[in-house]
Amino acid sequence: MTTAGPIAPTRNAHAGFSISRFLERWGVVVAFVLLFSVSAFKQGGDFLNVENFRNLLNSNAAVGILAVGMTLVIISAGIDLSVGSMVVLAAALGTTAMNRLIELEQPELVAVLVGGALTIAAGAAAGAVNGGLVVFGRIAPFIATLGGLAAFRSMALALADAGEIRSQSSSLFSTIGRGGIPLFGLENNAGRPLTLSYSTVIFFTVAVVAQWFLSRSRFGRHLVAVGANETAARYAGLAVGWVRFRAYLIMGALAGIAGLVNSSRMNSVSTAQLGLGSELDAIAAVVIGGTSLRGGFGRVWGTVVGVLILGMITNILTISGVSPYWQGAVKGAVIVLAVLVQRGSRE
Amino acid sequence: MQATQNAFFEAPRAPEGKPAARRASLNAVRVTVEYPGVRALDDVSISFRGGEIHAIIGENGAGKSTLMKVLSGSIRPTHGSLTLDGSTVAFAKPADAIRAGVSMVHQELNLVPTLDVAENMLLGREPRKLFGFSIDRSAQHRRAIELLSLLGTDLDPGRMCGGLSIAEAQFVEIAKCLASDARVLIFDEPTAVLGERETSRLLSLLRRLRDEGRAVVFISHHLDEVVAVADRITVLRDGKMVHEFVRDGTGVLREAVGAPGDSADESVLARAMVGRELGSIYPPKGSAMREAAAIELRNFGAVGRSHGISLSVRPGEIVGLAGLVGSGRTETAEAIVGLRRATGSVWIDGVQQTFAHPRAAMRQGVAYVSEDRKGRGLHVTLSSVINMTLPTLDAHTRAGGIALDRRAERAVTERWIQAFSIRCARPELAISSLSGGNQQKFALARWLETKPRVLLIDEPTRGVDVGAKAEIYRIIADLARAGLACIVISSELPEIIGLAHRVVVMHAGAVAGELPRERLAGADCEERIVRLASGLSEEKEHRS
Repeated sequence: MTTAGPIAPTRNAHAGFSISRFLERWGVVVAFVLLFSVSAFKQGGDFLNVENFRNLLNSNAAVGILAVGMTLVIISAGIDLSVGSMVVLAAALGTTAMNRLIELEQPELVAVLVGGALTIAAGAAAGAVNGGLVVFGRIAPFIATLGGLAAFRSMALALADAGEIRSQSSSLFSTIGRGGIPLFGLENNAGRPLTLSYSTVIFFTVAVVAQWFLSRSRFGRHLVAVGANETAARYAGLAVGWVRFRAYLIMGALAGIAGLVNSSRMNSVSTAQLGLGSELDAIAAVVIGGTSLRGGFGRVWGTVVGVLILGMITNILTISGVSPYWQGAVKGAVIVLAVLVQRGSRE
Repeated sequence: MQATQNAFFEAPRAPEGKPAARRASLNAVRVTVEYPGVRALDDVSISFRGGEIHAIIGENGAGKSTLMKVLSGSIRPTHGSLTLDGSTVAFAKPADAIRAGVSMVHQELNLVPTLDVAENMLLGREPRKLFGFSIDRSAQHRRAIELLSLLGTDLDPGRMCGGLSIAEAQFVEIAKCLASDARVLIFDEPTAVLGERETSRLLSLLRRLRDEGRAVVFISHHLDEVVAVADRITVLRDGKMVHEFVRDGTGVLREAVGAPGDSADESVLARAMVGRELGSIYPPKGSAMREAAAIELRNFGAVGRSHGISLSVRPGEIVGLAGLVGSGRTETAEAIVGLRRATGSVWIDGVQQTFAHPRAAMRQGVAYVSEDRKGRGLHVTLSSVINMTLPTLDAHTRAGGIALDRRAERAVTERWIQAFSIRCARPELAISSLSGGNQQKFALARWLETKPRVLLIDEPTRGVDVGAKAEIYRIIADLARAGLACIVISSELPEIIGLAHRVVVMHAGAVAGELPRERLAGADCEERIVRLASGLSEEKEHRS
């Protein structure tokens, strides 16, 4: 097929070029290039430094993983407000289990692997709860996951008395979040070899796999069909509930992965802070990336660009010395602008 | 007291009861509308006069919708202009047209489901009291009753619009137009969603609006309705006006320009629309193949909607399911394939089956094509390919059923485009860009691709033009001849009589009677069906 995007062309039914239609489709790329140029102009060599990118990717990997999952949920015409709380609950459970194993004098590798697997499994379990409430309990996704937003964090707080859970692993655990693959021939500012962090690799792997599933798999097609018109999907013989349930389940597992990336990077879990407000960042990235909040249309690659745009904005504002208190206002304006531009000719 | 307050706070309204003095005349003068690459309307001049029902007919794509959009202010013509009562008007948006007295009754009804009938009718022009701060509910109620009685309906203004039937909602929609003092009313296929009885009520309402001096513009695919009700008929073809017929003093429709030919009937109109001779649009009927039923319903029903239905269809047989809208036909079909809870039993090829889900029905060779193409039958925002392969997606996968085989998807789509001569240049575009007839062919094709043995097809030609109708009839007849057992649900009596081997009539959720093949030829057969469908009991002896 000659289509460039996964399912995007179906929206643009008419031939001929128009600016609004172009922006609707490629606006997010245009915005990325503009921001990139502004950064390069303002910061010169500092910005065009490879290490700068490495850090940009590294610090946004966890929220990026969440945003990829959020893209799938939103395409199914749902929403998940509980992602930040799933991150902290999964990380708290996984880290606690890992510490327990180390206390029991199990080999560190075993403890880290079991702890990591448990983090992802706990996230998936929380996602299954969300999916169950939405699909079988027939609760609106907004409400069901609003409950999760409160409940999952509260469980994590109770587990650690609202404190911090420090990892007992000597260095192996933190390698996941801090280590990386050496990029030969590149050095950082301190003269040490530059690495592509494992968390960035995980983020991109998740994104590529999700994009492939969305545009090339039966599940992705079902997701789009259910999100575009649930009734019509049911009439076409699709197992609508199962499709939606899986979207929340995958979201939960990805929240677990994001929790693992975060806790290993910090080498601890702050139950009061970790993942706080990241549902908004994830949703913002999805919207900036051009996925329709009404469901039935979306693209993972757009979300990835959206994550980078948000990260770059923070970067620029911080370097330009703008007060952190104002950064929220700028981000808010960008989100609204993104929606206005991409609404374009859809009306 | 309240009445005086109203008079004070409301905008002055034209005196009622003297409509003749306010007869509108809306003219389209040499209107051309161009889209990139297409001329949707080409130099069309038409006048719509108060006190006249003016029907616009034409195949899909002939320019009817474009003309209506121009008249109602949704789009502005590329060339040409509109005049209202002799002076030129330019409608920038529908609100301008409504203010000038030109209202459109849309195919899709736009009522707020959580507001009641009176609130919907007077939305945005509520009578006020307390210096305009509060809605005068009793005045609103009175005004609603006044308008509804003008339409000859006793609908309760306090009912929530969410609970109205389609026919009732349409009445509210029309009353809403009258509330804005519409002098030109445009009806875009108003009968497409109505059953026989609701249709005749609507047609008499059109006459009533005309007799009050309003200009009524009527678009319909149903030529019998057009012949019955129109005073003037304009035929559009490829964006041009090709014929105009006027009803003369003796009530006969004749060509308005040139030599007044013979009186125009439905077949003359059909010929005028397509510009060629149409044979009988109903193909010859085949015969059933064997005695054993492909599908049998025993004491079947959709919970709360229908009951006690016993019916069997043999391979090669087409059974028509007639009845009024709301008689439980659609719900029964939906219950068969597991879209609704059912009572009683379904037997497929002699084996009892319970379908929890359309997919389960599909596995046993039972397919249901929905009446509601936009809302249920198709995903209008998605591409033709995606729509085509959705029910059979499992068959178009590689790598153990996970990856889609997009080449195979494309190939199967192209195959059906060929087989049904679907006009679809780019199947990767949204299916909503196709005409109703071509969409319907895809809706049918996607289920035929599941290789069904039993086909339940609901309103197969709703919103489809005459040419495509004939093709769909031929397709259904061919399918039956190839051994499919078909149940055709339709509100169009000629269609059901022309197509089916026998007709089962439903009334209030139960089978009211059945007309076997030999009774379908008689001249009084339409009347018999109507009587059964309305619950008149004389025909009970035909139940077998």
